[in-house]
Amino acid sequence: MNVLLAVLWKDLVTEWRRRDRMAAMLVFALLVVVIFFLAAPAGSEAASRTHLPGLLWVAYLFAALLGLERAFAQELENDALSLLALAPADRGWIYLGKAGATLVMLLVLQGLCALAFALAFGLDLRPVALPLAGVALLGAVGVCAAGTLFSAVAARTAWGQVLLPLLLLPLLVPVLLGAVRATAALLDGEALPRDALQLLVVTDAVFLILSFATFEYVLDE
Amino acid sequence: MTPSRTPPSAESAIERLARRSVAATGWLLLAVVAGFAWAVQAAPTDAMQGPIQKVLYVHAPCAFAAYLGFITTALAGAVYLWRRDAAWDRLAASAAEVGVVFCALVILSGPIWARGTWGQWWSWDLRLILTLLLFLIYLAYLLLRSFTEDDERTARFAAVYGMAGLVVIPLNYFAIRLAGGRTIHPENLERGSLGDGMGMPFALGVTVALVAFFHLLARRVELAGLQARAEHAEAEQQALAGAPPWPTP
Repeated sequence: MNVLLAVLWKDLVTEWRRRDRMAAMLVFALLVVVIFFLAAPAGSEAASRTHLPGLLWVAYLFAALLGLERAFAQELENDALSLLALAPADRGWIYLGKAGATLVMLLVLQGLCALAFALAFGLDLRPVALPLAGVALLGAVGVCAAGTLFSAVAARTAWGQVLLPLLLLPLLVPVLLGAVRATAALLDGEALPRDALQLLVVTDAVFLILSFATFEYVLDE
Repeated sequence: MTPSRTPPSAESAIERLARRSVAATGWLLLAVVAGFAWAVQAAPTDAMQGPIQKVLYVHAPCAFAAYLGFITTALAGAVYLWRRDAAWDRLAASAAEVGVVFCALVILSGPIWARGTWGQWWSWDLRLILTLLLFLIYLAYLLLRSFTEDDERTARFAAVYGMAGLVVIPLNYFAIRLAGGRTIHPENLERGSLGDGMGMPFALGVTVALVAFFHLLARRVELAGLQARAEHAEAEQQALAGAPPWPTP
């Protein structure tokens, strides 16, 4: 448990001092949105509105991939990862610490992105802010759970930056679909769909358990 | 406690079994393929779909073989993490390759049938997306293997990803169904949904696919074992000769 907090604190402090990962993720997420809207045919305001939840989540996901890639790549500098692996605790805790730090960054990113979306498309998110934050949290947990594990894998392969999206995107389909559906329902002023929430919770749990149990084999040197 | 491992210079039990079953499965394959070809041409033509329906005898059995390959990959990967015997990793990698080949056959044969029956090559149908995702996951698995250096690390990474790929199948299924993915895919698996005289060629098709699967897997496992032992012997020889363990120009 102490290892978890230590790794979490270390990652957050490092990020706070450099702020490069967060900045890159945020700029990239906004760019994805801008590029998508420029690519969409002009004058399809109504059609683009139906695509908003999907667009929002694709932007999160792509930006998260960018941040996840750095999560372990930075540990390779000065061979920090080998020293981290020496920590006298179950390596699952190291995993949870790394995943937790990425989760905090992703939540900040989601908050800022949602704000930008609300301003750009004239959405009033205030009435649904709380459930929307809950959905964002559930989705972010799933992305970080699987993402942190395979970020550790991809960082130590040739072409890790290329490999990470290939490994991760097909696994994150349940998170994406569940989160998009829940977000769409909220933006339409409907109640939260139970089935989407169940899917998100189950997927998060499965990824967390799988990653916690197998992280040991990913770090083993 | 260190579980027993096959030394790198010896043939593992899996590879011995594979080597011994190559010939047997090969002859069996020839025999069932002949029977299958006869059964398919003798099978009645579907009243609604015409002869194109016969693609089913290849399409569905290939899907069974593909799933069998991916399940083998995940299980062999799990056993590798437990036993740390490289032979299990070679089995996992071989099964993934064979599974991907069969999955490609499913994805190629499906549209031929779909074009004739649905009138379009592809439909964003639940089972089609699911199969495509599975195909992409195990292609990524093979890419991961080829991008990772050091055999032992490759084996560990691949085992973890192979297991994740299997775990995500039911999640993807529910996700796509949730997203409104209806299925217009025929429920061929239900008993009695095949017409009279169609059960026999279908059963033979499944037999052919499974025998072909085991034959290809046995060959691939045997080859992987030979390759590993040849590499080991080469490294040993170079160590004995005092040569550096890298190729000199």
